[in-house]
Amino acid sequence: MKLTRWSLLPLVLLSCSARAEDLNKLSQDPAQWVMPARDYSSTRFSPLDQINAGNVAGLQMAWTFSLGETRGQEAAPLVIGDTMYIVSSWPNKVFALDPVTGELKWTYIPHTDRAAQGVACCDVVTRGLAYDDGKIFQVTLDNHVIALDAATGKELWATKTGDINLGETTTAAPLAVKGKVFVGISGGEMGVRGRITALDENTGKIAYVAYGAGPDQDVLIGSDFKPPYDWMKGKDLGVNSWPQGAWKIGGATMWGWFSYDPDLNTLYYGTGNPGPWNAEQRPGDNLWSSTLFARNPENGQAKWAYQFNPHDVWDHDEIQRNVLVDLQIGGANRKVLLHPGRNGYMYVIDRETGKVLSADTYDTVNAYKGVNLETGRIEPNMDLNPSLNRTVQDVCPAPPGAKDWQPTAWSPRTKLLYVPHQHLCMNFKASEASYIAGTPYVGATVDMFAGPGGYRGEFMAWDPVQRKKVWEIHENFPVWSGALVTGGDVAVYATMDRWMKAVDAKSGKVLWSFHLGSGSIGQPVTYRGSDGRQYIAIATGVGGWPGVVANAAVDPRVRNGALGFTGAMQDLPTYTQGGGELVVFALPKSSSAQAAPTQPQPEKR
Amino acid sequence: MKRGLLLLLVLLGAGGALAQQARRNAAENALTPTRAGAYPILSVPVSHLRPGQPPPPPQVTNPAGDDPQAAQRGMRYFISFNCVGCHAPNGGGGMGPSLSDVKSIYGAEPANLFLSIYQGRPNGMPAWGGSLPESVIWDLVAYVRSIGQKPDGNFGQTISRTPASPQKQQTPAEFVQTANPWAFTEPFGNGKKPDAK
Ligand code: HEC
Repeated sequence: MKLTRWSLLPLVLLSCSARAEDLNKLSQDPAQWVMPARDYSSTRFSPLDQINAGNVAGLQMAWTFSLGETRGQEAAPLVIGDTMYIVSSWPNKVFALDPVTGELKWTYIPHTDRAAQGVACCDVVTRGLAYDDGKIFQVTLDNHVIALDAATGKELWATKTGDINLGETTTAAPLAVKGKVFVGISGGEMGVRGRITALDENTGKIAYVAYGAGPDQDVLIGSDFKPPYDWMKGKDLGVNSWPQGAWKIGGATMWGWFSYDPDLNTLYYGTGNPGPWNAEQRPGDNLWSSTLFARNPENGQAKWAYQFNPHDVWDHDEIQRNVLVDLQIGGANRKVLLHPGRNGYMYVIDRETGKVLSADTYDTVNAYKGVNLETGRIEPNMDLNPSLNRTVQDVCPAPPGAKDWQPTAWSPRTKLLYVPHQHLCMNFKASEASYIAGTPYVGATVDMFAGPGGYRGEFMAWDPVQRKKVWEIHENFPVWSGALVTGGDVAVYATMDRWMKAVDAKSGKVLWSFHLGSGSIGQPVTYRGSDGRQYIAIATGVGGWPGVVANAAVDPRVRNGALGFTGAMQDLPTYTQGGGELVVFALPKSSSAQAAPTQPQPEKR
Repeated sequence: MKRGLLLLLVLLGAGGALAQQARRNAAENALTPTRAGAYPILSVPVSHLRPGQPPPPPQVTNPAGDDPQAAQRGMRYFISFNCVGCHAPNGGGGMGPSLSDVKSIYGAEPANLFLSIYQGRPNGMPAWGGSLPESVIWDLVAYVRSIGQKPDGNFGQTISRTPASPQKQQTPAEFVQTANPWAFTEPFGNGKKPDAK
């Protein structure tokens, strides 16, 4: 099957929404993996079952490909038709490969400004590509959004959407919805004014920008806006919940994930922390930072919003994956959204209204006392409040939260959410921060360390209906990779100390593990090649915020480095160095030939 | 811009004294020609490779070098001008490289550090020459020099779990704020909570 721009043209002519349905349909093809989360609901579930709990122990390396860079590799490979696409860390090279043989088809090298590396808060990562209508969409660290011809790698358009001299970078993966490409902006530690930008897929023209703070007009809050709780009602709260003018440099960025519900025609994403980290400089709720937005993708207008962490004091962004599932809760079928909060609470939220149905801790939490389900407000633990120049100790979770960017996976078979996350506490000292455009706007000295029990990471399965952890695997380091779960009831993740693991999705029993070249913070994906075999692919290359101590010039003896993450990661260099390789696994040829594919063949177009 | 940053310091109450100090009529020697019309700083190489074995470059000393308070002032500038955000408290590194281990890319001599700060560096070090007075940059140089200490080792450095190497860490900055952080150390923590002092 070969997808070209022309093969989809008739659909394009029909209407824009036809095309969104088309990408939605394409994402259901078990052979392919067409967006980082595999589908608009962000499940990272593949129905493929040739590799299953019974035979995964025999998994072997099929081929590898060097990304040519040795910083953190967070991007998910995409598989569309007979081509695999992946993007490297800065300078964000894009590679097109044969998914079966690993043959290189083309390479695209953007001239990404090298100075952008200095203003990227937490390694020079990028989180992936988007695809639609014969085009690959990429973002660069220096804020360019680029469309490439998926067949040839030819540059079709490039649009600049941010300024590194304001501390802005782009690391979130784009998403294509209804003829538009959605991108975020990073720089919550640089006094950036957070926003998302929608660009026309065909021209690269900016359709609209929706800010994370500021007047309603800029946030795209209008007559359609129906927030779930009264305290989020009122005019221009994105201005009035900040000291004079502070919203202009207050963060509320978007460097994580978009999800989309085609039936409700709603785009979901969360915003980042308010800045600076020293919260005494910004009394108020600081709306709309650390907030979940539901928007109409056509015009960007907000339908509702829910602020997880009013007046966040711990850098608890809420940009995590929002997984859209329908669950039987209290005897009724509910359209919900699962959000493992950075604040340590697992949220089940009604995705039509924004009301919180439940919020339960899934890791050690003492920074908060609970989420009030009447008001929707989280209750901060005021005993630990970090007033200026006072060192508060043993605060959990640490700034990266109980979970950071790591993509989760949801299995409709086990009805469990698979969550890679960390287990860290910290000491924290707030100090006065001065705003100088293009430099960090933080005002905190942070020192992180392993949480109770001495382990630093965990891979767990969570039952959102029973509201409890079903099983967990403790890991020495934060599990900074994404998760994958399959129709073969295999869940896959990788560790910073170089282990790739496949576990039984029901029991959490480790069925297979492999020692990688470098630690991995990548997103595992699976697909079926034209040869009928199922493959599992992941990028290796340790890094990200916790990994810079191993891949960059960071001194493990100085605990407060890397915004305090060095403290928790200082022994990582004794396990791994930086790297940058795509690694692809399959069952040995003979055994996969025996296992006849039980899935339908990809649809012919 | 220069005025903007100084004003910022005053407004933040980071100390009128700091701003005054910044305006202090420093010996702006690096960027002032000698009587013979030469700019010594222009002769400071960034590379160790000097083809044709020319005579050694001139030594440029830190004009604040004799002032015991220079590193202390430099520490306050390092925080107020947000160097600390990129290079981390005590220069441990993060967005910018560590300055604590003297593994310098562009040279660790005072003149090298001055030029790195003044001109900026291509992989993301901002150029501060247009914003900061020379005297402030020299104080920053004094501070950067005072926070650097080579890791244990000879020509190279061994990293291992057993025997533990490195063996020590700094007492973290949430407990001690000093221009001489290597005077306060404790056993390497391996990611565990530091000994609270
Ligand atoms: C926006 C982030 C950022 C800020 C703010 C920043 N730096 Fe840097 N700095 C960097 C980066 C990135 C490099 C490495 C540049 C390169 O390799 O080309 C660097 C390099 C340096 C170097 C050279 C290091 C070497 O190994 O040779 C020195 C010295 C330095 N910075 C000092 C400072 C001082 C002093 C300040 C405050 C006035 C400051 N920096 C502010 C990011 C920053």
